[in-house]
Amino acid sequence: MLGLSWIAGLLRRRPGRLVGLALAVAMAVLLTASLGAFFAASRARMTTDAVASVPVDWQVRLTPGTDVSKAMTTVASAKGVLRTLPVGYADATGFRSGTAATGVQTTGPGVVLGLPAGYANAFPGEIRRLVGARDGVLLAQQTAANLGATVGSTVSIGRPGQSRTSVMVDGVVDLPAADSLFQSIGAAPGSAPTAPPDNVTLLPASMFAQLFPADARGVSTQLHVELAHTLSADPGAAFVDVTGRARNLEAALSGAGLVGDNLAARLDAARSDAVYAQLLFLFLGLPGVIVAALLAAVVAGAGRERRRREQALLRVRGASGRVLVRLASAEALAVGVVGALLGIGGAALVGRLAFGAARFGGTTGQAVTWLAISAIVGIGLAMLTVVGPAISDARALTVSAARAEIGRGQHPLWARLYLDVVLLGAGALVYWQAVRSGYQVVLAPEGVPTISISTFTLLAPALLWSGAALLAWRLGSLLLERGRGLLERAARPVAGGLSGVVSASMSRQRRLLSRATVLMALTASFALAVAVFNTTYAAQAKADAQLTNGADVSATTTTLNGLPAGTAGRVAALPGVASVAAMQHRFAYVGNDLQDLYGIDPATIGATTPMSNAFFGNGDAAGTLATLQSHRDGVLVSEETVHDFQLHEGDTVRLRLQSATDGKYHEVPFVFAGVAREFPTAPHDSFIVANAGYVARQTGTGSVQTLLVRTNASPPVVAGRIRTLLRPTSGATVQDIQTQQRVTLSSLIAVDLHGLTRLELAFALAMAAACSGLVLAIGIGERRRSYAIASALGARTRQLSSFVWTEAAFVTLVGVVFGALTGWGIAQVLVRILTGVFDPPPTSLSVPWGYLTTVLAAIAGAVAIGGSSALRSVRRPLPQVLRDL
Amino acid sequence: MSDVLVRAEDLVRVYGTGPGAVRAVWEATFSIEPGERIALVGPSGSGKSTLLLLIAGLETPTSGTLAWPAFGESGDLRPGPITIAFQGPSLLPPLNVGENVALPLLLEGRTQTEAAAAARAALDLFELGDVAEKLPEEISGGQAQCAGLARAIVGEPRLVLADEPTGQLDHETAGRAIHALLEAADVSGAAVVVATHDPAVAETMDARWRIEAGELRAEVSRCSA
Repeated sequence: MLGLSWIAGLLRRRPGRLVGLALAVAMAVLLTASLGAFFAASRARMTTDAVASVPVDWQVRLTPGTDVSKAMTTVASAKGVLRTLPVGYADATGFRSGTAATGVQTTGPGVVLGLPAGYANAFPGEIRRLVGARDGVLLAQQTAANLGATVGSTVSIGRPGQSRTSVMVDGVVDLPAADSLFQSIGAAPGSAPTAPPDNVTLLPASMFAQLFPADARGVSTQLHVELAHTLSADPGAAFVDVTGRARNLEAALSGAGLVGDNLAARLDAARSDAVYAQLLFLFLGLPGVIVAALLAAVVAGAGRERRRREQALLRVRGASGRVLVRLASAEALAVGVVGALLGIGGAALVGRLAFGAARFGGTTGQAVTWLAISAIVGIGLAMLTVVGPAISDARALTVSAARAEIGRGQHPLWARLYLDVVLLGAGALVYWQAVRSGYQVVLAPEGVPTISISTFTLLAPALLWSGAALLAWRLGSLLLERGRGLLERAARPVAGGLSGVVSASMSRQRRLLSRATVLMALTASFALAVAVFNTTYAAQAKADAQLTNGADVSATTTTLNGLPAGTAGRVAALPGVASVAAMQHRFAYVGNDLQDLYGIDPATIGATTPMSNAFFGNGDAAGTLATLQSHRDGVLVSEETVHDFQLHEGDTVRLRLQSATDGKYHEVPFVFAGVAREFPTAPHDSFIVANAGYVARQTGTGSVQTLLVRTNASPPVVAGRIRTLLRPTSGATVQDIQTQQRVTLSSLIAVDLHGLTRLELAFALAMAAACSGLVLAIGIGERRRSYAIASALGARTRQLSSFVWTEAAFVTLVGVVFGALTGWGIAQVLVRILTGVFDPPPTSLSVPWGYLTTVLAAIAGAVAIGGSSALRSVRRPLPQVLRDL
Repeated sequence: MSDVLVRAEDLVRVYGTGPGAVRAVWEATFSIEPGERIALVGPSGSGKSTLLLLIAGLETPTSGTLAWPAFGESGDLRPGPITIAFQGPSLLPPLNVGENVALPLLLEGRTQTEAAAAARAALDLFELGDVAEKLPEEISGGQAQCAGLARAIVGEPRLVLADEPTGQLDHETAGRAIHALLEAADVSGAAVVVATHDPAVAETMDARWRIEAGELRAEVSRCSA
């Protein structure tokens, strides 16, 4: 009852104090709720994306001699199985095509698959039609290229232990998931992955059964299984569930089959991404919540003197310490509840604006959980900032301590113990240890259910951040204590003859000013670290997509004949196209190793797609391309090839390329001109780059397989125009960078971080403005009585301003400079520690100058507004203040 | 300019409105001339502090006329011609005692050297030379009150207003403080108005104005109420 009366009284008499604290609490709640719900939704999205991108959930390899129909019944009865189809696998000694008249093409060993009817519809991610029929005898595109075969060609299949047999090709297909389709099921964990076969032919199941009897050498059967995707939202839990089910099935099959668990493998990758998402929350979200909490503490601290006086009055009237704490608790609870409600409302609004849904795209359960957590954070924060000091005052405050507004007391314990230096040293040591050992912060061993996080390493940014905050306090305090002369000179332009008094006043109020400086520094460092990290992240995600896609838009065909003649010119004439680079994509034998070969024009390719220095072994893109251009027969190869063949610059490299004239592979001499590590559209392992003109002359065709397009309009729109131009019959695939970014990058990057970035950057901006303006206003408000006295003594507005603006300049300048240095350092550490989320790892940080300029402008604006409004309130001495004197 | 420092006619200051309104000062008419020594007496809550704030130009009258013929407009009163010493602790916490006393001179535009020398002399007058370097929170309430008086006379003002300047002093120290105040006022020819409950302090003044429920009347010397 007393508590209610107390709250009612506060609402009537001290609404500003309650509202100020409630708003500060609301900011902490808003950020916690928004980030928490977003990351929960992201984890669920990771599971969904991982599951959706698996073409075949399980591949069950049956032991030879197993009764297939019985095994199918067992598999079908396993939990969650929706569909089971048998697929025949047979080794082939090689494929052959052509006639003596046209020239016979042969390949090395390959694999023949026997697919049941409806397989392509059941598992659409496995087979992509390029040319010809969808069913019947299908050739993989690389095999078709090797054989020079197309629809209607006859291909002879070499069968181990049997005579050759011939089939007529009905279509050419791409096998996008060849790695998993031809995986070695049952391989020991940690063994090297098996490369998919270079040559593949797909046959209808009935034809396969005729040509490859089940008991023939090299013939086996797999059951391809589709599962119901009703899994836990947490990728880790889903991984454990699916793995357990696979083990259970293997037990049920009693040795008749082994499960190749593609779904678990994909979830395996997603669960480490989910942990990275949690780490991002920790590193990018938690500091913001802490800054908001500190702001709340400052706001609460501003009313502490008044609370002390109220406590004293209540004590005089007989209130016990317990009653005082109860009243403070009632106030904190009221503020906490109001702040939590405001914060949750704000979070819903932010969710709608930033993510398009009030519950951040997650489930209702996730949203409610995070809202509950953030409400607890809000109420806890209010309790901590109001009740904590009340308890401490009720127990320990003496009259003399209460009077001591300034205090010449000794430095705080942490300063005497040099805790700041210790924390920074420890943080640097942990960071150095981590970087030195080339660690991964998240360790998710393949196939192992447990996931480990290097928590020790996580200490580095935490230690560095806390150490930097305390160091900011020490340096600010030191500057104010020992640098009075400097301050006086600096204040002279603003304070004139009062500069000595202003500097003396600032020096003695170093505790208050250091507090404001630290808060400013923390806010600035938070804003900078978040902005730099997010910008670097976005830049790397784009670089990765650019590398994979080749350019803003790419059009690719796999046939030797290439894209129709004149396509480059017609594409260049389309609206939204800035430039076009034509690129040949062939295959060439380096010894026995078949590698991708790209024929380019080194002089012009850089105008269409960025040629990064990191692409080349010598770190010099311009130099390497110039060297290639100057040697018409020059060739760039991978480091692996250089190592394998002990190449030196200028060495002759003999490659075997397919001639368009006779379809055969002929030896072509090239000169080793440099090392290429990465190249647009090229695979991550070995590949070759050469001059297109030379390749055309040596192979008898200048056909172009890839067009790289730089756009000056939306890439998806331009891609649509190019698709329309090329028509589906061309067999060309047109990809744009934005779609590519969503489809091929890791699931973490695939999660739309734009909303999160917007939220964090907006919050950092708001915090920077709120901290600078509010802290200044509160600082002045706390000394309102002093300003009233000065005004009563005759201080003019200009003179009062000199006190206000000198302090504001000190807090802002020192805070921002220190915050910028700290933020930059923390961003470096974060990028290094979270290097797992970057692909490729960044060589340098990206700086969002526009955003940082906005933050500085917001800080300057907030300081101007906070200072001016505070000044307006103290300019006229308030009679009620003076009557108290 | 006229010699009259302050002139008030039917001066009224009312706080609030309606039946609950408080008449702090009611229809007061008076003038203050150079060199006058006035004790303002009356029970607590009678309006003494409000009247001093009105005279200092720190409070706005509800009605009536208030003028400072010798000084001009209310904006010209401080720093310089009129100073006020407050009843409670009024030293600026972040400045030491010497800096506090020198502050009005610095606000007037004097150099730091001049202001420091004048402050030292004023503090010596109140026997506070040895606490010049101390912070307000490091000295006693009485010393702080005396420092407030030193600050009030440091700029050689024409009118010194003091609100219960000896409230926290023992009888003997109060006597010395008032003596120092009047001595300094004599040197500059300043008028002094002291609001006080202490009869001994009131006795040292030439005139005594009594105020009760906001209504002012003179007991001795020139006054019309």
